[in-house]
Amino acid sequence: MLHKRLKWTSAAVPLTLSAALLAACGGNSNNGGASASASASASTPAAGSPAASGASAGASAADTAAKPDTSKKVQLNWYVLGDAHADTPKVMDEWNKMLEKDLNATVKLNFTSWNDWQSKYNLLLASGEKIDMVFASSWANYYKYAKQGAFMDLTGLLPTYAPQTWKEVPQEDWDTATVGGKIYAVPNTNPEYTPNGLVYREDWREELNLPEIKDLDSLEAYMDGVKKNKKGVTPIGGKAWNEVYTLFTDYYDFKVYGGEGSVIASSSYDNPRDIVEYPFTPQFEEFVKRMKTWADKGFWASNTLSQQTEAGDLIKAGTGAIYWRNAPGAGGFITDVSKTNPDYKLAYFPFTRFHNYAIPTLPMANAMAIPKSSQNPERSLMVLDKLRNDPTYFRLMTYGIEGTHYSLEADGKTMDTPPAGMTVSKDWKPYDITSWGWRYQPNMLQTKGGWDGMDALNKEFAAESKPNIFDPITMDYEPVKSQVAAVNQVFKQYGQPLMMGLVPDPEKALETYRSKLKAAGVDKILDYVKEQANAYFDEKGIK
Amino acid sequence: MKMEKSTIAFNAIGYVFLSILSILCLVPFLVIITGSLSSETDIIASGFQLIPKHFSLDAYRAMFTNPAQIYQAYKVSILVTVAGTAVGLFLTSMAGYVLSRKEFKYRNGLAFYIYFTTLFSGGLIPWYILIVNYLDMKDTYTSLVVPGLLSAWNIILMKNFMKSIPDSIVESAKIDGAGDFRIYFRLILPLSTPGLATIGLFMALGYWNDWFTANLFITTDSKVPLQFLLYKILASASVLKTSIAGNLSPNFQPPTETLKMAAAVVVTGPIILLYPFLQRYFVKGLTIGAVKG
Amino acid sequence: MIGFFREVARNRVLFLMIAPALLFFALFSYIPMVGVYYAFTNYSFDGGLFGSPFVGFDNFKFLVSSGELVTLTRNTILYNIVFILLSNFLQLVCAIFLAELPGRWFKKTSQSVMFLPFFISFVLVGAFVLNLFSSQNGLVPSLMAQLGLPHYDFYMHTAPWKYIIVFFHVWKGLGYGTVIYLAAIMGFSEEYYEAAKIDGANIFQRVRSITIPMLVPTFILLILLSLGGILKGQFDLFYQIVGQNGSLFNSTDIIDTYVYRSLAVNFDIGMGTAAGLYQSLFGMLLVLCVNYIIRKTREDYALF
Repeated sequence: MLHKRLKWTSAAVPLTLSAALLAACGGNSNNGGASASASASASTPAAGSPAASGASAGASAADTAAKPDTSKKVQLNWYVLGDAHADTPKVMDEWNKMLEKDLNATVKLNFTSWNDWQSKYNLLLASGEKIDMVFASSWANYYKYAKQGAFMDLTGLLPTYAPQTWKEVPQEDWDTATVGGKIYAVPNTNPEYTPNGLVYREDWREELNLPEIKDLDSLEAYMDGVKKNKKGVTPIGGKAWNEVYTLFTDYYDFKVYGGEGSVIASSSYDNPRDIVEYPFTPQFEEFVKRMKTWADKGFWASNTLSQQTEAGDLIKAGTGAIYWRNAPGAGGFITDVSKTNPDYKLAYFPFTRFHNYAIPTLPMANAMAIPKSSQNPERSLMVLDKLRNDPTYFRLMTYGIEGTHYSLEADGKTMDTPPAGMTVSKDWKPYDITSWGWRYQPNMLQTKGGWDGMDALNKEFAAESKPNIFDPITMDYEPVKSQVAAVNQVFKQYGQPLMMGLVPDPEKALETYRSKLKAAGVDKILDYVKEQANAYFDEKGIK
Repeated sequence: MKMEKSTIAFNAIGYVFLSILSILCLVPFLVIITGSLSSETDIIASGFQLIPKHFSLDAYRAMFTNPAQIYQAYKVSILVTVAGTAVGLFLTSMAGYVLSRKEFKYRNGLAFYIYFTTLFSGGLIPWYILIVNYLDMKDTYTSLVVPGLLSAWNIILMKNFMKSIPDSIVESAKIDGAGDFRIYFRLILPLSTPGLATIGLFMALGYWNDWFTANLFITTDSKVPLQFLLYKILASASVLKTSIAGNLSPNFQPPTETLKMAAAVVVTGPIILLYPFLQRYFVKGLTIGAVKG
Repeated sequence: MIGFFREVARNRVLFLMIAPALLFFALFSYIPMVGVYYAFTNYSFDGGLFGSPFVGFDNFKFLVSSGELVTLTRNTILYNIVFILLSNFLQLVCAIFLAELPGRWFKKTSQSVMFLPFFISFVLVGAFVLNLFSSQNGLVPSLMAQLGLPHYDFYMHTAPWKYIIVFFHVWKGLGYGTVIYLAAIMGFSEEYYEAAKIDGANIFQRVRSITIPMLVPTFILLILLSLGGILKGQFDLFYQIVGQNGSLFNSTDIIDTYVYRSLAVNFDIGMGTAAGLYQSLFGMLLVLCVNYIIRKTREDYALF
């Protein structure tokens, strides 16, 4: 009875607009640590930079061949994910003032907001709306969109209009942005590690004399101890899916292709060519049986799959004991809890310790691209070049206005938030927009007062680092898209309850799951992935 | 006049029936109000309560950190609702009137033409392309009002309400020499107040509750209507369910449970007063009396 | 053709009055309908709507390949039939009581109160359901424990969810639908009732023999209007209450939630449009049949 016209209109793409849960592969994070080596700045442009003399008012005829023409004033329409900060208009005013002087352009920065960002992103590209620059990412279907022709080919434009970026981004990073021999995006430059792991209550572990967490057994002992001794505590409160799923893939070292709904994986880092359907492995059987015992012990609630509450919120409320985070996210969470619950002691167990290696995040996980509909790709690239390489532009756009949103420490690379002389109040919020796409490590600032365990972790990861050989495999799944859709749905209907131990009989449920997967055409996807991945491994000489 | 036994029984059943339903509708709302006034920890630890354990205004404080934005959003919502309802009601009632006229030869065909749009649609993408690329309405107030002006559902309901007005009224007016528009404006409209009130209410509610259009078309903060403002806050939590969550900076604050409830209270705000206001048009005999008088 | 122009000339004013509505639907509904062609193409940004390669019915495959389409369609239709009938019945009863009962204050209050659920978003409804039925500290299991009933975990059984979903659907639209019936009753001539009173009919008889028969056309109209959308809609209701809880899908899965799960990770314009087209065509077929039957029996009540 609540029909609205809009409901009808949107009927043919009914769900994407309610799309909330959109699994994506890969992961990246906030400030990974920066070592500033400032290059050009707004006031003293680097010599030889084509953008150097800004507006071409004084450019001589001879120069115009080398210097892009900026005589026409343009307004660029940019889109990034997420929401604006209340002060974004102010920041953009400042930014545009500089930009107008230097490049005779202004930028209108638009945000998709976090709700339904994926469907809006899709709509922006599919509608051919005039957009000059947009966030792009391997986890936002970059490879699929690039293959379908949503983005503009930048290969020929980059050396002329973004020369500094073109020079400084390493070739292997450009490779990850290359589809069919053409570059469609400018990847960010911020090497970092974002492995999965669990935050837990170290104070409880010590109090209850439980073993240190280093494997599945000690993890079980910890949860068991907490469950038995802490009344009213559910070890993984709220929705426990992320915790359990990442535990599964990382404990057995399965390298899953194509994000969460997929069941195709290399059996381990060392055997990239051994590509399997993991639900058919003995490891999976062992795991789901174990999870059944965990669920029966009450490590999570029987309605965990319907829950919306974050396990982390329950830690803060005192009724939870475990929370899935990637390493930088864990750092942020621990810092946050140290403010809200100073009496708690939290620790972090990264899953890299199961197999003692870490993989750096793919550069293409965060990038900026130019949609095909853009009217001003040249100017957009020039602006991007400036944004990335000029610390004044970079910091204003990324961290806000100095003195209002942060203040710089004496070393020039650490920032205080809130700025010196201000206190955290309800009116002051840290300046924070999704600046991931143009990250450039030398220009990034480190936040003061972060979690002190972070540096040690990063050292640990760097010491055991292995090359990222999986994420650059660019598959778009076009030839098997109906099978992928069917498997996604079987995964949610049968796979998730099974992996969460929420079935009466895991053996029978496993059998059902396997037969439904076969019916959904999982073998076809396997063949496709094998073909694509092996071709890549051949090309790269990976055994 | 003495009340008949059957009337007493009827009234008793009616009061009990309506009371039960009212309570079922009221209690959850009370729980929401209570929840919005509770402390976040209580909600997470022990669920919803009818009486707050620890009274707290945190949720409202969080919501009104930027009061100017909320007031602006209220303004946009009210403007859009008033403009959309006024124009929409006028067009809907005209269309409904024409379709209800029995001597109008193509009324069945045109009714189907209108109804068909509810059965079949080209989907969101072409509709979006039309509005953004051809009508150039992106980021305008027009985009909030125009695409929702008419609905087949409302036109057909309107036609149905007007059908119950006796034909004799139209015929006698025609004999008096009144034109079609005059009949509609002077005779039919005053006689259709319950229908107009109903459709007007639906339109107003539709505009008020509509976050979807703004979600698609509005990119400037000062043009965001109230529902979308709050929807953005509420739905931002969904991003935490994805692995993008790992990307988010520690500064990203998902909405708290109490904030969600405070949002429901703020959104309901003035629109809930619209109904009691319209109620005087839902009085029996009003229309007939008007004709006779 | 000539007849048409003569008609236009004769009823010029009437045509002018309906023209804005006709233009509106032409622009915002009929023109975008070309988009259904997406369902038959493999979308590419270079080609756009008409330049992308034609792939026939390939995009429909994912609906059929799981073999669940029949179950899903049946689920969707059954849920909607229950929604439509139960909602309309309760709304009708409420409207009759509201029209006949004395006591302005009571009626005003209860009517306003019944509108409250309309403003509660499904996100919050989902939170309510969790709080009511959670095995940990949910209200219903706690109550059952206090009454000495055996422990029952709602999230491990599929049976109760049908009723829970139906309840919240009816609950949310109660006030909204009641108004339509109430407005219809208000349009009825008082004379009928006066005459019945003189004949000595009591209130039950008056309701049964005057109000209800006169509401039948409205009732049928509302049912017909609802039928067109019988295969779509209510995504939020199911999604927020059941969520991603695969263990409950057996009795709570509808086409919308299924398509959502299928395409959430790897959205495809062609497949999304294909699903919508299936829903539209099925709904249209249903409406045309029902309308045909009604037209044969009681022409006045038919929609077109």
